[in-house]
Amino acid sequence: MADNNTFDAIVVGSGISGGWAAKELTERGLNTIMLERGFDIKHGKDYEASNKPVWEYPHRGGKTQKMIEDYPHLKRDYPLNERNLHYWASDKDNPYTETKRFDWFRGYHVGGRSLMWGRQSYRWSETDFEANAKDGHGTDWPIRYKDIEPWYTHVEKFAGIQGSYENLPLLPDSHFLPAMDLNIVEKDVAAKIKAHYNNKRTLIIGRTAHITGPLGHSPQRTNCQYRDMCWNGCPFGAYFSTQSSTLPAAMATGKLTLGINSIVKEIIYDKETRKAKGVRVIDAETMQTKEYFSKIVFLCASAFNSAWVLMNSATDIWPDGLGSSSGELGHNAMDHHFRVGASGEVEGYDNKYYFGNRPTGFYIPRFRNFGDDKRDYVRGFGYQGGASRNGWGREVKELSVGAELKDALCEPGGWRIGSTAFGEMLPYHENKISLSKTVKDKWGLPVLDMDVEIKDNERKMRVDMKEDMKEMLEVAGVKNVNAFESDYAPGMGIHEMGTARMGRDPKNSVLNGNNQVWDCKNVFVTDGACMASTACVNPSLTYMALTARAAAFAVDELKKMNV
Amino acid sequence: MDRRELLKMVAAATGGVVIGGEFFLAGCKNPDAGVGTSATFTESDIAFLDEVAETIFPKTNTPGAKEAKVGQFMTVMVKDCYTEDNQKAFHEGQAAINAACKKMHGHDFMKATPEHKKAVLVSLEPEVKDYLAKRKEFIKEQDDLEKKAQANGDTNFEKKTMPDHYFTMMKQLTILGYFTSKEGRTGATRYEPVPGKYIGDLDYKKGDKIFTSLN
Repeated sequence: MADNNTFDAIVVGSGISGGWAAKELTERGLNTIMLERGFDIKHGKDYEASNKPVWEYPHRGGKTQKMIEDYPHLKRDYPLNERNLHYWASDKDNPYTETKRFDWFRGYHVGGRSLMWGRQSYRWSETDFEANAKDGHGTDWPIRYKDIEPWYTHVEKFAGIQGSYENLPLLPDSHFLPAMDLNIVEKDVAAKIKAHYNNKRTLIIGRTAHITGPLGHSPQRTNCQYRDMCWNGCPFGAYFSTQSSTLPAAMATGKLTLGINSIVKEIIYDKETRKAKGVRVIDAETMQTKEYFSKIVFLCASAFNSAWVLMNSATDIWPDGLGSSSGELGHNAMDHHFRVGASGEVEGYDNKYYFGNRPTGFYIPRFRNFGDDKRDYVRGFGYQGGASRNGWGREVKELSVGAELKDALCEPGGWRIGSTAFGEMLPYHENKISLSKTVKDKWGLPVLDMDVEIKDNERKMRVDMKEDMKEMLEVAGVKNVNAFESDYAPGMGIHEMGTARMGRDPKNSVLNGNNQVWDCKNVFVTDGACMASTACVNPSLTYMALTARAAAFAVDELKKMNV
Repeated sequence: MDRRELLKMVAAATGGVVIGGEFFLAGCKNPDAGVGTSATFTESDIAFLDEVAETIFPKTNTPGAKEAKVGQFMTVMVKDCYTEDNQKAFHEGQAAINAACKKMHGHDFMKATPEHKKAVLVSLEPEVKDYLAKRKEFIKEQDDLEKKAQANGDTNFEKKTMPDHYFTMMKQLTILGYFTSKEGRTGATRYEPVPGKYIGDLDYKKGDKIFTSLN
C-alpha cells in the first residue's frame, strides 16, 4: 500500500476526464490519488436539489440582484440560478481577467462539470481528425479515427450512451443503449428534411449519456425517469457523471484515494531524470502546502486549468512553464460558437401532445463542406433543437385577465420547433490564455488572463448557421420562421479546448500522440487542453476515450519501465 | 450546455415565450443595475397584491392566485430580483390602480366587488399597450446608440433603461407565481414529478391540461 503521500499515479481533477483516469489507472493496478481543488459532493446524499419542487425556492429557481452582483461572469448566461448555484465556482473566490470577454463557467468540486454537463455525446469522424492536415489550419492530429475507435467503444459501453444507429459518414454510430424517441412533430420534420435534401441532411435524436437499459457492470444506476432534473445531480444515477459511474468503479478497486480541497499549484519537476516527481498542493482551507509523489501524473483539471498548472511548473528551466518549449502552451484556445439558428410555428398537430420530460432534443449532423459541398469558409456545424407545445409562459394576446386567461394557460399552446447551431472554431495561435502579472487569487496564485475571439471563418460560418436552419424549417412546412442570432462570447459553449494541444512535432505542439508532455514523458494531459481542433460535436465523449487510451498506454509504459 | 436552457433560449430569442423563458422577467433583463433599496412591503400591500392577483387568476373549479399566495410571492420577487427602477414603478402601481378604481367606481380597489375589480384592471389595457410600444422604441434607440458607441470605440457608453409597466409586472408575477406554486401545479395542471417514461406521440383533446413537473 501507498504511504500517505506517495502513490503510483496522481490524477489532477475529478471531472469527466479525471474520473476516467482514476478508474482506468486503478483498474490497471496503480495506487492512485485523485486531487480535487474543491469540496466533496456525495452521490445522491449531497444532491440537495434533486427532489426539490420549484415552489420550495423563494425565487422559483431564478436569480436575485444579489446573485447578479456576486457573479459578474456567471450572470452572463443560464448557470446563474437558484437551483444548483453551489455547483458553479464562485467568481469572487476565483477571479480571472479579460483582455477580451471570455465566459468561463467552472465547477470546483468532486465531479466537476460532469454533474452539470449537457450530456450530449458524439463520436468524431475521420473527417474531423484529418481536417487540420487537409486545410492547413492548426497542426495535424497525431492520431486518426482508427486509433480512437476502440476507446470510444470502451467508454461508451461503460458510460451508457442512448442514441439511434444511423450509419452516417460524418457522425459515426456509438455503441448504443435504446434511443429516446423523437416526438411526432420532430419525426414529421425529419422526414420532410430527409426527402427534400435527398438523404444528405438528417434529423436524429440527440445522443446523450443517459441510460435507457440495464448496464450489467453498474447495477447501482437506474434508467432515466424523464424528470429533466439532471443538472441538480441525478439520484437515479441515470446520466454519466464521476459520482454515478467512474468514481464507484475506481473506489471498488481499493486503490483510489480522494484528496479534496487540494489545489495543485505546480508539478514538481526533477532536472536530473527530466521527469515529474509529483505535485505541490495548497490546501484550499488551511492554505498549507503539501507534496505528493508518484511515477506518473495525469492532468485533468479542465482545459484552461491544466494549462495553468503547466505554466506554473518548472519555470526555473522554462520561464513559460512545463511544456512551453514549443511556444504553444496556452495558445490555440477554442470553444464552440453557437446561439444562432431559427425557430417557427408548426400547424396541424393540435390533437397531439407528449408525456415526460425528455432530457435531450434532436440533432442535425454537419452537412457543410462535405462531399461536393464547398463554402467560403472551412469546417462545419451541427444543430441541436427540439419541438414542443408552448406552456403557461406564453403570451395570450386576446385575453387580459380573469378565469378565461387562467383556463387558457392551463392548456398547452401551439407547437413550436427551434434549433441553434454549434460551429467549429479554428485553432488560432493568437487566441491565448496567460498568467496575469498583476492579479492573484485568495491563495496568492496568479489568475488567468483571457484573450480569445472568433474570426472571419467563424463569422462567415454563422451566416449559414442562421440561414440553413431557416431554410430547413421552411422546407418542412414550418410557419412564421424566425432566424435569430443572439450574442456569443467565447467560453459560453463551456467547451474550452486546445491550450496544450497534441501534435506530431515537439516544435509546434505540447503533447505527443499519447497525450504525454513532449518535455516530460510521465506527465499526461487528457482533458480539453489536448485538443488540436474542435470538430463541431460536443467534446466530452472524446475526452473520455482519449483519457482511457492514454491511461492504458501509461500503464504499459510503466511496466516496460519507459516512463 | 443544458438542453432545457437551450430550448428556453431559442424560444426567448424569438419572442415565443414571455415569462418563465430566458429566466424570468424584468429583474433579469438588466443584469448591470444595482440592488434596489426602495422595496418594503406591508401586510396591507400583500393583501392588495393578493386581490390584484386573484382578479387576474380567480378561483374557479381550480385554485385562485390568492390560495397560491401570489401576493407574498410578488413582494419577494420585487424586493430581491427587480432593479431599482422597476421596484419603484411596481410600488407606484398600487396608487395608480386605486386612482383608476376611484375614477370608475368612486372608492379604493380593495372595496370593489370582483366584477368591478376586473373592470378596473381591464381598463388599464390601452395604457399598458401604449407604454409597451414606447418602451420597445426606447430600447431600440438605446441599442442603436450602443452600437454606434461601439463602432466609434467609445467604451464609456452606458445604456439608459426604462422601467417595465407596473401592470405588466403584476400580471407576469401572477402567472409565474401561480404556475410555480404547489397549489397551481397540483390543482390546475397534470403534475407529474416522476414521469418514468417519454411518449412522443400522445393523443390530445381540447380541455386536457398541461403536464408540469418538479422543475
